[in-house]
Amino acid sequence: MSYEVMVGNKAAATAVKLARVQVASAFPITPQTTITQYLSEMYANGEWDFDFVNVEGELSSQVVVQAASRVGARTFTCTSGPGLLYMHHPMQQTGTNRLPVVMAVVHRNYRGMQPDHSDLMSQQWTGWGHQYVEHAQEVLDSLLMAYKVAEDPRVRIPIAVGYDGYVLSYTAEPVDIPDQAEVDEWLPPYKPIPSILPDEVDPSTFARGWGEGDPQMPWKIHHEAVLKIEDVLKETMDSFEKTFGRRYGNGMIQEYMMEDIDCAIVAMGTIAGTCKAAVEKMQSEGKRVGLIKLRSFIPFPYNDFKRLAKNLDAIAVVDRSICPGKGGPVFGKLRDVLYDMEERPKILQFHAGLGGKEVRTHDFEMIGDKVLSAAKGGKEEQVTWV
Amino acid sequence: MSQRITRPQIPLSEMTITPGSACQGCGAALAARLAFKALGPNVIRHTVPCCPDSVTMNPRAGSVFEGGGAMLTGTARGLKAIGRTDVKAVGFFGDGGTYDIGFQGLSGAAERNENIFIITKDNEAYMNTGNQRSSATPKYAITSTTPVGVKSRGKETQKKNIPFIFAAHYVPYVATASVGFPEDLIAKVNYAKDIEGFRMLIIQSPCPVGWRFDPAKTIEIARAGVQTGIWPLLEIENGKDFKLNYKPKELKPVTEYLKPQARFRHMTDTEINDIQEFTTNRWESLLKSDENKQIII
Repeated sequence: MSYEVMVGNKAAATAVKLARVQVASAFPITPQTTITQYLSEMYANGEWDFDFVNVEGELSSQVVVQAASRVGARTFTCTSGPGLLYMHHPMQQTGTNRLPVVMAVVHRNYRGMQPDHSDLMSQQWTGWGHQYVEHAQEVLDSLLMAYKVAEDPRVRIPIAVGYDGYVLSYTAEPVDIPDQAEVDEWLPPYKPIPSILPDEVDPSTFARGWGEGDPQMPWKIHHEAVLKIEDVLKETMDSFEKTFGRRYGNGMIQEYMMEDIDCAIVAMGTIAGTCKAAVEKMQSEGKRVGLIKLRSFIPFPYNDFKRLAKNLDAIAVVDRSICPGKGGPVFGKLRDVLYDMEERPKILQFHAGLGGKEVRTHDFEMIGDKVLSAAKGGKEEQVTWV
Repeated sequence: MSQRITRPQIPLSEMTITPGSACQGCGAALAARLAFKALGPNVIRHTVPCCPDSVTMNPRAGSVFEGGGAMLTGTARGLKAIGRTDVKAVGFFGDGGTYDIGFQGLSGAAERNENIFIITKDNEAYMNTGNQRSSATPKYAITSTTPVGVKSRGKETQKKNIPFIFAAHYVPYVATASVGFPEDLIAKVNYAKDIEGFRMLIIQSPCPVGWRFDPAKTIEIARAGVQTGIWPLLEIENGKDFKLNYKPKELKPVTEYLKPQARFRHMTDTEINDIQEFTTNRWESLLKSDENKQIII
């Protein structure tokens, strides 16, 4: 274990090295770019035995890791905003072929360069696990955990770990780097299932079966495998803490100052960190508001929200992305969870941080005041643009 | 350059799936049959959407249409990572996956000199979706998106010169072949399969349905393509060393290739002369390069 002050992108590259990734491929795009530079430097300096493929576009980088994963290599790719949109087509194949690729998504909105979550949120239908993290240490730890979860035979689903561009990608923080030997023991080498090698492959896969079986079945199996991430991520968080001494809630969500409270704010990514400061201040003033940091958007933490919502009078959802004409994705999903409850808390929607707009502590205090007021029966607007 | 072989040297073993999904007289199915006889079983074959696609008994993974070059790149790098460089990463793509939608990824793979072997069965249109024009479609050819009418004489532009474009990436090996010349085709696969780096073999594969000719005539059409100089058989190594593999004393007139195909039946004498002139000029330049054993790209 050793501490180093590093930016989020270096933390990502360090995780790639610690996970002993065998084939990485990426195309540079701001604000992900420096990951490709760190990886290229590590390759050039012979720091570890891996292949870094500098491809001619994001689409190819996704296809390269997909193919390498199929053959049996542990893989990594990374991108931002428009690059992620360009990967959309092959991301579906990585999902449907159940290949445990891990990808860092350094958030950038697609109307400009600044971060919001619209890039990864736009990929909800690709059949991946989607996680959102808050700080550089969590970037490193979450990427390591992503390999453990994605490669678990119960899961075999690619995982994207998203973190905000600039605020995290280019901001230096002290990061505790785990011991290589400990990582090696905790994260065993990857084996593809089934093998595609000519001497091991099942010959019945040689011909393509058009229209055989129930065409819906692969979707059902895929859906169920993505849901399995919940249990495996929770287990993995426990084993991660046992080995490395750190944890982030139960993996799906992280509760912050959620004791003796009436209301909660749901936030993701770096602004969840800002929310922590606001919650501390508000609670010191006797305002009973806590934070639920949403880490896993897919699969969505139904069980955790159901458990927590029982004790809450109102919930404020801060969405850092919007589907125009439809609304915030987390708000919609959370309201879906609450519907089944006999007595459900009120729920308010806040749009914040879109297009990289800064979200400050006092913004969260405003959100806290509104949600507290709603809890007491106050008439608050259901949708607020912060 | 490849070493000439004789017909008895063509392997008897088969890698193709029978019965296959191909039409009668399918040139592309024949291209697969011949090429994979020479490649054998120790291959991972990737296919992008093309016609016909499930052709040989090799493990494969489907890929996105535009991702052929990257799919093979990842396969080759993955095989290297797990220490299985004995297994060859081979692509069996159509002209769409090579000339058009797959072009960027293949160009990237060629520039990086990935250790992959691309085999393209060029049937000169998007036959999988029903004969729409591609950039491999020759000038004047009728396709379902270049019909002849008051405003159209078929496809307006020449076929993209893909062998030269890939040779201009200075890759170890680029060659053309024809299903009408199986010994030449197999000799080229034999030679290319053991080269380290990017290799490409483009096989002209007549399509009776799209080109509209009697399915019994596939071989005759393929041979006429080569004998008229419309589809020259050539090899280019490292972007410079050049060889013409088939050099008749005199080329046959292009009409021998054009006339039996209904896709060219509307052509006027002037249009036929246009093709004849283009073909003759290119042939002369190829002969010069062959004499110099070098091509300037």
